[in-house]
Amino acid sequence: MQFKRKIIASLLVSSGVLGVAGQAAANDSTELEQLRALVQELDQKVKVLARQSEIAAEDATTKKKETPVVKASSSGFGLESADGQNSIRFRGVLQSDYRSFSDGRSGIGAISASAPAGFYPANEANNSFLIRRARPTVEGTLWGIYDFRFTPEFGEAKTSNSGSTSGIVDAYVDARFKPWFQVRAGKFKPYVGLERLQSATDIKLIERSYVTNAILPNRDLGVALHGDVLDNKLNYAFGIMNGVPDGGDSPTSTTTINDREYQARLFSTPFKDQDSALAGLGFGMATTYTDASGTFNSSGTTAGTVSNSDLTSGYKTEGQQTFFQYTSATYQSGRRFRWAPQAYYYYGPFGLMAEYVDESVKVNYDVPSNNQSVGVNQKTLNNNAWEITASYLLTGEDASFKGVKPKQNFDLDKGGWGAWEVVGRYDEINLDNDTFKNFGTGGTLSTANAQRYFGDLRNSAKSAKTWVGGVNWYLNPNLKVALNYEQTRFDGGAGIGNPNASVANGETPTNVTDRQEEKAVFARFQIAY
Amino acid sequence: MKTLYLTLSLLIAVLSLANPLTASAAEVKLLNVSYDPTRELYVDFNAAFAKYWLAKTGDKVSVNASHGGSGKQARAIIDGLEADVATLALAYDVDQLYEKGKLIPKDWQKRLPNNSSPYTSTIVFLVRKGNPKHIKDWDDVIKPGVSIITPNPKTSGGARWNYLAAWAYALHHNNNDETKAKEFVAKLYKNVPVLDSGARGSTTTFVERGIGDVLLAWENEAFLALKETPGKFEIVVPSLSILAEPPVTVVDKVVDKHKTRAVAEAYLNYLYTEEGQEIAAKNYYRPTLESVAKKYENQFPKINLVTIDGVFGGWTKAQKTHFADGGVFDEIYAK
Repeated sequence: MQFKRKIIASLLVSSGVLGVAGQAAANDSTELEQLRALVQELDQKVKVLARQSEIAAEDATTKKKETPVVKASSSGFGLESADGQNSIRFRGVLQSDYRSFSDGRSGIGAISASAPAGFYPANEANNSFLIRRARPTVEGTLWGIYDFRFTPEFGEAKTSNSGSTSGIVDAYVDARFKPWFQVRAGKFKPYVGLERLQSATDIKLIERSYVTNAILPNRDLGVALHGDVLDNKLNYAFGIMNGVPDGGDSPTSTTTINDREYQARLFSTPFKDQDSALAGLGFGMATTYTDASGTFNSSGTTAGTVSNSDLTSGYKTEGQQTFFQYTSATYQSGRRFRWAPQAYYYYGPFGLMAEYVDESVKVNYDVPSNNQSVGVNQKTLNNNAWEITASYLLTGEDASFKGVKPKQNFDLDKGGWGAWEVVGRYDEINLDNDTFKNFGTGGTLSTANAQRYFGDLRNSAKSAKTWVGGVNWYLNPNLKVALNYEQTRFDGGAGIGNPNASVANGETPTNVTDRQEEKAVFARFQIAY
Repeated sequence: MKTLYLTLSLLIAVLSLANPLTASAAEVKLLNVSYDPTRELYVDFNAAFAKYWLAKTGDKVSVNASHGGSGKQARAIIDGLEADVATLALAYDVDQLYEKGKLIPKDWQKRLPNNSSPYTSTIVFLVRKGNPKHIKDWDDVIKPGVSIITPNPKTSGGARWNYLAAWAYALHHNNNDETKAKEFVAKLYKNVPVLDSGARGSTTTFVERGIGDVLLAWENEAFLALKETPGKFEIVVPSLSILAEPPVTVVDKVVDKHKTRAVAEAYLNYLYTEEGQEIAAKNYYRPTLESVAKKYENQFPKINLVTIDGVFGGWTKAQKTHFADGGVFDEIYAK
């Protein structure tokens, strides 16, 4: 109001009206009327100006509500519609690693009848800098319901994840119809392994355990029904997927195995959101089932090409060195069933995760095209792996399944040191003894059909047992530096003496020693937003 | 395989326990997206309907209302505002829900009596007490020095009725000469100092901000101003005005999604009942039910009313000619 009066007064003064009006009021009533009319006109003009300004402000407020919001923060960059129903975000992960082996072997050595006598181990593992993961991500939401995510891979994981040739890590749509009814389709992390479902940026150690990396699926193509029920305390998932080799990452093309894999998982957090020491407890069970026998017809021939890589591209150590591979004539010929109990517990700065997997898989030796019909050299093998990981945040932050947010970011000027965490894990993998038994006719390698193994103990280890310890330094929610030391012992996995030594039917080779222990230091610099 | 069946059975059992599909339907929420001046009408009507529905079905219903310029409201619904029912100022805006959003069927207007208009209204003049500018008819409005308050026809349904009423008057008094009608309406808008986006905004401009000599107003809005600020304004009834038929519709795609079709349809049907018509009349809307119209006939002045179909060939044609981008309104207002 005061503003309006000032405007009126200014207008009157500037037009010289007040001075003139003073004289006119004294002398002439007509002029007084004119003056009154003029004042009224000016008053209207001021009111109109004020109202126009009011309307313009209202319009601006309305337009602001309709204008898309640009978001740029440490959790990503993106655009969002004014109503929040549609958005797109650009995110990324970069993990730059260094691996230094004081002991350890690279891959598995070749065994053949013509190999020279003596040791035949693989080469020494190489020390190296590498880009473990380089993943830009585009993700977003349409209509407030349909989430999408597309993540290519430019790092080492593109080739180290078995079966992956596309370089696409994730490409899926997730329709969140209701919290208890959601559908995800495309290529994604299957709802199976607990450690796998933890983001690669949040895992406590530089590499995941044998449970995750060796046996359970990594990424797969398919469709999953999932959701949260019972007041969000029980998560369920059921998926129909292509099925991937152990630890495998599905290519984006079709699969050679004819039958789909069925996956199911239940995971409960019964004390979630309660003021209880058990609030951070979660446990569950996951299973996968597929039957490859449909790939073959009654005479044992197959429409596609099957190979040992359908079982696994090789089980790897923490240092990503292959220590086991099925022999080249071995392929999956029947059902594969996995079950994986899993749990975590977080209390204050303390975290614990444990996971077990048991796998039974029917395999056959020699491909059907060699007139070895399915069933002649067939066996069900049982493999298992387990892990337990403990972590403790020295700087007092709360541990969780998701990442760590430091109480104080690292800042030399302000004196913050970020968050510091110590971590440790024990994990092991054990393969079925029958994997390594000769079911040929007995004799030496040079004798036709004399030695047949699903896995050759002279170059593939029967078990691996690993201790890892490490320190994580979270400079801020986006930057992390990690340092790990690991030591792995093997059972078998290296040949010694004469490769043509005779092996009886039903026996394992005797010219075997343990693969050299792997001792290595890993370092990682990670940025994620 | 047995283990798989066991797992599936477990999943089904867990889902059954969660039982999210059998949530209670005893409390229903509706959203009525309406035009600007219906705020008071629907406050009364929503309360009456909730009472009626509770007595009839035992279910509670709460109706939220959203008000704004009719055109803006239609666009909001098309853009995703989940209105169970739309009660807009004119049929063209409702047509857009079919044309641009396919949210309702093409023949929506045939679903309820009177072309889905449960009440009608018209356009009158609201002037300041004593009528200092001596405004009696449309010719007085366009005189130089008369300040007219009317909202923007691009966003407001009421504004379009105002515009067309003036155009109809000019045609009537100039032997249907379109050129003279255009000149007449151009003069009218030359006298408009402020264009609000909706009818309620214009009432605020005229009544609360004290701007202008005459407000071109919905009849119900003019009566409401008299009631709320007694002794400050007068209604002047022009010799000719237009029959405004604000229509209502269920928004099919939304009610099917919300599972609220039954209650939404009952809500609109209730507008046609004696109780609904009484509430409309008390809020100065002209009832269409004969018994109620007769009861309130003295409340509403007798005016020579033309129709949109009779003078302009329907809303689609009128919209295209006058209010579409590059239409007559843009032409005259740009000058």
